[in-house]
This record gives sequence, structure tokens and C-alpha cells, in this order.
Amino acid sequence: MPTQSDLLAVAPELVLIAGAGVLLILDAFLPKLRRIASELTLLTAVGAAWALLALPHQGLVWSGMMRADTLFVLVSLCLLVALFLCAWMAGPYLHRAGKETGEFYALLIFATAGAMIMAGSIDLLPLFLGLELLSIALYVLNAFFKDIDVSLEAGLKYFIVGAFAAAFTAYGIALLYGATATTNIEAMGRILAAGATVTPILIVGFAMVAGGMAFKLALFPFHGWAPDVYQGSPTPVTAFLSVVPKAAALIVLLRFATSFDLLHMGHSWIWAAGIVAVGSQTLGNIVAIVQRDIKRMLAYSGIAHMGYAMIGVIVAGTAGSTAVLIYIAAYTVMNIGAFSVIALMSENEAEPHLISDLAGQGWSRPLTSLALAICMFSLAGVPPFAGFAAKFFVFRSAVDQGLIWLAVLGVINSLISAFYYLRVVYTLYMRPLPRRVPDFLSSRAIGAVAGVSAALVVLIGLYPTWLLSAAHAAARFLVR
Amino acid sequence: MHIEHLLTFVTLGPAAGALILTLIPGRLERIQRWAALLISLVEFALSTLLWVNFNPDVAGFQLQTAKIPWIPQLGISYHLGIDGISLLLVLLTTLLIPVVILASWHSISEHVKAFHMSLLMLTTAMIGAFLALDVFLFYIFWELMLIPMYFIIGVWGGPRRIYAAVKFFIYTMVGSVLMLVGILYLAWFSHAQSHVWSFAYSDLLRAGHQLPMGHSFFSSPQMLVFAAFALAFAIKVPMFPFHTWLPDAHTEAPTGGSIILAGVLLKLGTYGFLRYNRVLFPAAWHAFVPLILTLAVIGILYGAWVALVQPDMKRLVAYSSVSHLGFVMLGLAAGTIASTQGAVLQMVNHGLSTGALFLLVGVLYERRHTRMIADFGGIAKVVPVYTGLFLLVTLSSIGLPGLNGFVGEFLILAGTWHRYPVAAILAAFGLIFGAIYMLWMVQRVFWNPFAHKENVSLKDVNLREVLAVAPLIIFIVWIGVHPTTFLSPMEAAVRSLLMH
Repeated sequence: MPTQSDLLAVAPELVLIAGAGVLLILDAFLPKLRRIASELTLLTAVGAAWALLALPHQGLVWSGMMRADTLFVLVSLCLLVALFLCAWMAGPYLHRAGKETGEFYALLIFATAGAMIMAGSIDLLPLFLGLELLSIALYVLNAFFKDIDVSLEAGLKYFIVGAFAAAFTAYGIALLYGATATTNIEAMGRILAAGATVTPILIVGFAMVAGGMAFKLALFPFHGWAPDVYQGSPTPVTAFLSVVPKAAALIVLLRFATSFDLLHMGHSWIWAAGIVAVGSQTLGNIVAIVQRDIKRMLAYSGIAHMGYAMIGVIVAGTAGSTAVLIYIAAYTVMNIGAFSVIALMSENEAEPHLISDLAGQGWSRPLTSLALAICMFSLAGVPPFAGFAAKFFVFRSAVDQGLIWLAVLGVINSLISAFYYLRVVYTLYMRPLPRRVPDFLSSRAIGAVAGVSAALVVLIGLYPTWLLSAAHAAARFLVR
Repeated sequence: MHIEHLLTFVTLGPAAGALILTLIPGRLERIQRWAALLISLVEFALSTLLWVNFNPDVAGFQLQTAKIPWIPQLGISYHLGIDGISLLLVLLTTLLIPVVILASWHSISEHVKAFHMSLLMLTTAMIGAFLALDVFLFYIFWELMLIPMYFIIGVWGGPRRIYAAVKFFIYTMVGSVLMLVGILYLAWFSHAQSHVWSFAYSDLLRAGHQLPMGHSFFSSPQMLVFAAFALAFAIKVPMFPFHTWLPDAHTEAPTGGSIILAGVLLKLGTYGFLRYNRVLFPAAWHAFVPLILTLAVIGILYGAWVALVQPDMKRLVAYSSVSHLGFVMLGLAAGTIASTQGAVLQMVNHGLSTGALFLLVGVLYERRHTRMIADFGGIAKVVPVYTGLFLLVTLSSIGLPGLNGFVGEFLILAGTWHRYPVAAILAAFGLIFGAIYMLWMVQRVFWNPFAHKENVSLKDVNLREVLAVAPLIIFIVWIGVHPTTFLSPMEAAVRSLLMH
């Protein structure tokens, strides 16, 4: 029987699921109210955030399977911001495509709830439930424009790859249970710390769970699905998909890295994870250079960014965990900001989103273009924007642990990435408007999403102190 | 206004001005120009207050702002201060900004507001980089220069502007990202020594001195961190062989952009060598002196030779910068008091002379839309005032006694001669080549037989253009006739700096 504190701890998720339920009922019985589905979603996100911040949270809940602490609050807040911004931009986007339905928003909300459960779990069983809730909602969302081939393709690809990843994860969980007789990550950590021998079953089990997370993060060599899925999914879904599952999966990896104290478990982890991190950065950045479609470019950029974030996971400890949390927050706002401007670009995913279509827009649509330019500079890691702060803390944590080679390879990679982010900026401002100006949507709501995201990017970049304090306080719950 | 806020006003004033410009509607271009000019003149007036309040007898940083915590968890704070060296460079910057705005009065006709906003943001970044007493703050200002300059080259530049802008951005970033790792390592080392996180210049100075030298380059933390900083600055200067971005950036940038690029941005490279490499890592500096001397001398000679054969006046002036900044690096590497003072003065001189040269070449380009030397010839008769101004600036650039260039070059060579006679002799040849390529260009443009009918109706300089170049010429003569005015405020600073 769940106690009161158990229920309080999952109150934000309960608010989300209630909101999603209302949306589904409205969709079925009061189709006229579909117009306000987007607004209802925003309200649900705000309600969940209120539940998150206002209700008391204390430590272990659900018989020690979940942890409601500062870490959970901070990550959930990022996830809810992502939900809020994506739902906000989805309104005008779906309206243009004539696909306004409540179920779209309900699925977005379910996915967010799944990610929050993943981030809050220290036991692999609820973690797996969260993962599935998140993934299944996303499979449907990817293929939401079911009469468009690329959207269907995106849904199918993500489904097949996701099913593999889920199977990997489930099998890994079984092996870990076999090796340690528990499904609790922190309990496994305690067993290892007490001097249990590291058996091959344990290593294989951990590798399979980590591999499942790497699929979600689109890390090299599990990145193959990303470009097609990014390109084919409706843009608000792409924005959501590019941050929410990644934030949750990063937290899972961080929990393993800190509980198992992987950094001090020998060199094989550093080497394996280091190759994955640097490989993701290098592959992502180099392949992104030749992309002409901006959504595909951002897919490769996302692969690279998770590579940088992995450096923080490798370092772990307080400094590394803090850096990863800052990275999640910065990446959320800068990526969603970029995708919100892309959502204005074309009617649906049947058309390509060519970077060259942005030519000259910098002067004819100054505000949204400025937001996009700020997000691009931020993704490139140029101060004074959020992306710089994120990279600064990640590289700092690596230098402090003596992993200078990771930092050096990381900065060289962010240099390579400047090539393709700059291409977007110079297309906006330095190329003339074409004779036939592409028919871009004008939407105040999407403009507001871009503006809010860009403002947060600048705020985090100029004054990261508050985020650093919050991330530091959260990271202390990981490392004891 | 409290005196401790003066540096903050000087640094952030232009950025605030840029925000004021956003309020002016886009159509009112005349008002935007006048507003920008007014802001830049106020900024210059503020910076003269620095001169008035500056005490030349004090060696360290003066007029320091209060230390405001920025990222206290890491000991990063907002902290500015000025010494004799940065004083001269800040004054040079604030002097050049109104000149740039006047020079761009007609040549910048599109997106006028955005141009002036970029320029003012750039000013804040440059002044901040000169004044920062926190190394993290310095890095932020240093990187902040990238975005406005990228736009100035890429939006208002010539036909190959995008290529030049991207090249400028990437080259500069190559150096600065490794400098970031160097800064992080230094901060980590400082923490390991003192158990306190800090990015303050004074704390990292102590840490830099203590960095072990090791036996070989790759086992020497001090040499590696030195190299990380040096690469960033060498690209900015630019030292041979990192100079290849410069001719493209200069050729494609609009006149105003070239003035600010040559006048101030390059100085941040030489300033960085002096303020960071020389002071923070003295042991590594001494190990690297032979290399810096060699590259400086190669730069002097190579820049001059390549300038000699340029058909485009702007490209010629761009390569002359490589040569002139070679002299500055020579003076810094020689490390005597005279040569270092000469180097700092020569930074200012180069800003004035080359700024004026780019301005005057821009004047000609606005009228004829060509900068090719072959398109002119014998125009002295048509534009006598212009010719006089150009000749004066040319003589300043080649170091005629009585003008500014002579003082700087003389001090550098005299100071270098004591320690490195061979380098001084080789560099002196650079002076001769400098005279050759500049005077040969003047001859072909102004004196040779009148060759092109299009030049008959060439208009002489107007009042605006004279007003733009006048402040530069006043200082060119002033420094030449009475250099003590400018040498005395930096003497204490240079002396204490060379103690490290």
C-alpha cells in the first residue's frame, strides 16, 4: 500500500497523467475543444511544475525504488520546460497541418511522465517502466503524420531500433539481477563497494543497459537511427525527442557511474566510454558539415553534443554530475529554441528543411532569426551563451580529474562544429533573399517559444551561477 | 560618478550604447549614425578621464573596480584594472571608434543600425579584454570579439566576404579553444597549490610561475600551457606562419572593419603575449625567446617582400601589418626596457598609421570602386590634399624621424641590439624594404604619368574625411615630436612587468 509520501513524491507525474487523461476524453467527446488542447497542455505542465516545487519531497519513496530529491526536481523541471515549449510550438504547427488532436498532446505528456519516472528511479524495474512509457508514446508521435512517408518511416525506424534497445536493457537488467541479486542501482553499488568480485555477467549486464541508454542518446556507434527520425518526425516532436529521452538516459548513466564509481574501476571503462564520447563528437561533427537539411544537421549535432555530455558522465563525481546537469539544462533550451524556428519553415515533413531556404531571413524576420542565430552560436559553444557555460563545466571537470586528453579532443571537436553552425548564421544574414521567398509560417506563439528559449540561453550563458548552485546541490544527492 | 566605476563605464558604455541604438526605428539611418557618433565621442571623453586620473608613478593596476563575484563557486569575478600599457591601448581604441564611424558614413548603406551595434559591441569586448583582471572574464571578452567582427566582415564586406568571415572566425577559434584548456589547467593547478578556486589574474600569475618546467616540451606543464596561450595570441597578431587569415579578412572587410581590425584587434595578440605569456610563464618565455625572435624576423622580412608585389593597395597594407607586428614581437622578445617600451608604443603607432592608411585607401575606393594600383597613376595633380595626407601617413608608416613610427622602431631596434644584434640587423633590413614597398606604391598611384581618364574627375577629400583622419594625424605628429607624453605613463608598468 503506497504511503502518503509515496504519492506526494509522484504527484507531478500524477498531475501529468490526469492532464493527459482529460485531453483524451475531450478529444473523444468534445472535439470542439481541440482548439485549446495546446493551452491545456501548457496548464498541465505548469501544474506539474507546481506540484514538483511546492509539495514536500523527502528521499527514498516507493520502498526504496525511487528517489525524490533535488536531482529529481531539477531534471524534472528541465523535462517540464521541454514539454511546455514543445506543446506551445505544436499548437500553430498542427493547426497549419490541419492535424489538431488531443491525443498528440496526451502522448507528449505521457512521454514526459515516462522520462520523469526514469529520472527518479534508482531501481531498474520502475526505470524500465518509465523507459517504455516514454518510448511507446514517442513511436506514435514520430509517425503522427501518418499520410506522409517520411513520418511513417521515422516512426518505424525509431520503433524497431527502440524495441532493440528496450530488449537490450531488459536483458541487461536480468543479468545484473543475476549477478547481484538486486535490481536497485544503489544497492548494487554498495555490494561492489563492499568488495564483491566483478563477474563477467555483471559487466555484460551493465554493458547491455548502458548500450540501451546509448541508443536513446544516439551515441556512436548506436546513432544510426537519428538523422532519419529527426528529419521525418513532426518538428515539435523532433524538438521533444532531441532533449527529453536524452536527459533521462543521461541521468540513468550518471546513476550507474556514481553508484558503481566507474571512474576508479579501472581503465577499461574510461577507454570504452571515452571512445564512445569522442567517437560521437567526431562522427557527429564531421558528418553534420555535409548536411543540407537543417533537421538532419541538428541530428548529427545532437550526436556530437551527447558526446560532450558523456565526458561529464565519465568524470562523474560531484563536478562531473554537476556539469552533466548544466549540460542538460543548456542543451534543452538551445535545441528547442533552434527547432522552434525550424517549425516555421515548412508545412510538413514531406518537404525538406534546407539550410539554403533561410537565405536573407535575418533581415526580413529579424527576431526569430536572431533567436536562431543565438541558438547556433550557443550550440557552437561561443560565449556568452549557455552552450559555452555547459562545455566549460564539462571540460573543467575533465581537466580537474587529469583527463586532459578528453578536454582537448572536446574543444577541437567544438571547433569543427563551428563550421556548420556558422553556415546557418551566414545563410541568415550574409546571403541575399532569393527571388522566390519560401513561404514560412508567421506565428506569435512559435516566435514566443524562440524568444523565451533564446532569452534563457543568454541568461544561462551570462549568469550561470544560479544553475550551478542548483546543479551542485542536486549532484550531491548522486554522490555520497 | 565614483572613480572606481570609471572603468566599468568605459567598458560597458559602448554595449549600453548599442542597446540604445536598438530603440531607434530602422528607417532613421541618419539619426542612427549621429547617435552612434555621439556615443563614441562620449566614450572617448570618458576614456580621457582615465588619462587624467591615471598615476604614472604606480606600476600595478590602478582605478580598479570592486571585485564583484560572478561565479563565486569557482572564484570567478568581475574585476577590471588598468596600467600604463592598457591605458595607451584603451585610448587608441576609443580614438579609433569615432574615426571608423566617420569613415563608414557613406560606405555603409545597408543595415546601418546593425553595423553600428556590432561596432559598439566589439568596442566593449576589446576594451574589456584589455582591462580584465580575471582570466575567465578576459576569455569571455576575448571570445566576444568574434561574433561582431564576423558580422562586420561577412555582412558589409566585399565579394568573398563569407569565405573571409568564416576563415577569420575559425582561425581565431582554433587558438582560443586551446587557450581555454590552458586556463582550466592553470586554474586547477592554482587550486591544487592553494586549495582555493580562483581565476583572478594575480592568483593565476602565482600559479603560472610555479608550474614545473620538466625536461622536454611534452613533459613540461609550463611549456604546454604557454603554448596553449601563445597559439591563441600568435594567430591574432598574426605571427608568421599563422598570418594567412589576415589578408583575406582585410581585403574583404569594409573600410571601417579593416581600421578596427588592424588598429585594435591585432594588438590584442601582442598585448596577450606581454600580459599573459611573458608575465605568467617567465621560464617558458625564456625558453621560447629564440623561436619568437626567429618568427618575428621572418614576419618582418616576409611581410615586406609579399607586400612589395601586391597589386591591390588594401592587400599591400594588410601584408605591411604582418611586417610591422613582427617589429612589435621582436621588441617584446628582446625583453629590454627600451625594446618593450618601443613595442608598446609601436602597437599604438601601427594602429594610428595603418588605421589612417586603410581609411585613405577606403576614400579612394569609395570614389573609383577599385583599389588596384594599376588603375591609378599621376593623380597627385587631381587630388592634392588627399595626396598630402597619404604621403604624411606613408612617411609615418615607414618611420621618418619626426613622426611616430620612427620612435617606436628606433626604441625596438636599439633595445634589441644590446641582446640580439643579428636579429636587430636583419630587422633593420625590414625598415628598408618597408620604405621601398610604400614609396613605390605612392609613386605608382600619385606621381607616374597620368594614365586613366576616369581619374580626371576624381574629387578631393571632403570635410568629413578630413575630420576622420585629423585625429590620427594629430597623434602621429604628437608621438613623433614629443614621445615622452606617451612613454612616461607606461614606464613604471613596463619596468615592473620585466621583473618577472
